[in-house]
Amino acid sequence: MKVEVDDVVLPGDFSEEIDTAGEKGKVILGPGLRKEIDKVYITKAGVLRKRAPNTFWVDSYQKRYVPSRGENVIGFVVQKSGDIFRVDVGSSCPATLSYLSFENATKKNRPEVQVGDVLYAKMLVASKDMEPEIVCVDSHGKKGRLGVLNEGFVFKCSLNLVRKILNPSCPLLESIKNEWPFELAAGMNGRIWIKANTMRETIAVGNAILASEYLSDDEIKNMCTNIASILAGHVS
Amino acid sequence: MANYVKKKLQLPKSVLDMKFMKKTKDRIEREIENTQDHDGLYSNIITNEMRHATGNFITETSFIVCEDLLEGRLSYKGMNPEIERLMELESKKQEPAPDMQKDISDEILAKKMQSFNNRKRSYNSPSKYNVIKRKK
Repeated sequence: MKVEVDDVVLPGDFSEEIDTAGEKGKVILGPGLRKEIDKVYITKAGVLRKRAPNTFWVDSYQKRYVPSRGENVIGFVVQKSGDIFRVDVGSSCPATLSYLSFENATKKNRPEVQVGDVLYAKMLVASKDMEPEIVCVDSHGKKGRLGVLNEGFVFKCSLNLVRKILNPSCPLLESIKNEWPFELAAGMNGRIWIKANTMRETIAVGNAILASEYLSDDEIKNMCTNIASILAGHVS
Repeated sequence: MANYVKKKLQLPKSVLDMKFMKKTKDRIEREIENTQDHDGLYSNIITNEMRHATGNFITETSFIVCEDLLEGRLSYKGMNPEIERLMELESKKQEPAPDMQKDISDEILAKKMQSFNNRKRSYNSPSKYNVIKRKK
C-alpha cells in the first residue's frame, strides 16, 4: 500500500516520497526500510519518519535488540575463555570482546574483568552471519565513556524508551539533571544503568525514566517536578 | 595484486625468453588468462544494469544517525567528574566558536561609521573650509 511520512506502516508498504527523493539526491534509509530493485519497501511495522533533508526510517516498537555497528550497548560478561570474553548484550547470540580491546591492555597487562561484570561497550562488528564483536576503546585507544560499570543499578526497557530519552528534544534529562547528582549509561540494547548517591535517588531516576515512556513532553516535565519535590521533602 | 602483475608484464620479452625464466613466463601467461576469464565467467549473470547501478540510497542500520541521538553515558552534578569533563569537551566542540569580544558595540560602530561616511562625503565636495582645515 502507498503510504506517506508519519503514517502507520506495515511490511510491504512503500512510499513515493522516498523514491522521488532518491532520484534527486542521496537518501539515507534507516532501520525498517529496504531497497529492492524497483523501489524502497518498508520491512517493519511502525510509523514512517523523516528528518530533513533526506533521512527516512521506521519508528517501531521493539524489545529485541538487533546489533548494528557503532551503537553503544550494556552487556553482562557471561564467560571468560582464553583471549575473549563472551558478553550478553540481549541479541540472538552473545557478543565477543577481546581482552586487548581495553585501554592500556597488553598481552601481559590483562584488564580486570570478571564474569558477571556489567560493561558499557561499542558495537564494532554487527553482521547478519557472524557473532557481534564489541570493544571498550575508541579508535584512538582511549576508553572515553566505555568500560566496566561499577555499582549502580541496571534495568531493562524497550528500545524505544532508550531512544526517547536520548533524543535531544526530550525534556526528561533536562528537567532532572539539576535536581540531584546521578550518573546514567543507556545502551541501545534496551538496558539502562543508573547510579546515584542514595537508594532513594537511584529509584527516583529509574522511575522517572520508566514512567516517561508513554508521556508527552509536558507530562514528563510535570512528573519530574513532582518527583523532585517528593525527594527533596523527604531528604531534608 | 594488480600492480604486481603489471610489474611482471613490464619485464622485457627478451628476458622472459631466457631459459631460467620459463616458470615465471608460464605463470604470467596463466595469470593473464585467468583475469580474462573472469569477465566471461559471469557475463550472463551480471547485467549491464548491475554494472552501472549507482545507488542514491545509503542504508543505515542504526537509529543513532537517523534520530541524531545523544551519547548514552551521562553524569550530572558531579557524580562522575571524568564523564562530565568529556561531556563538557563535546558540548564545546558542537557549539560554534564564540564571537570575538567586542570592545565597541554594534550601535556605537554604526553611529561612528555613519558620521565617518558623512565626513568623507564632505571632504569629497570641494569646500574652502575643508581645504583650510587640511592645511592646518
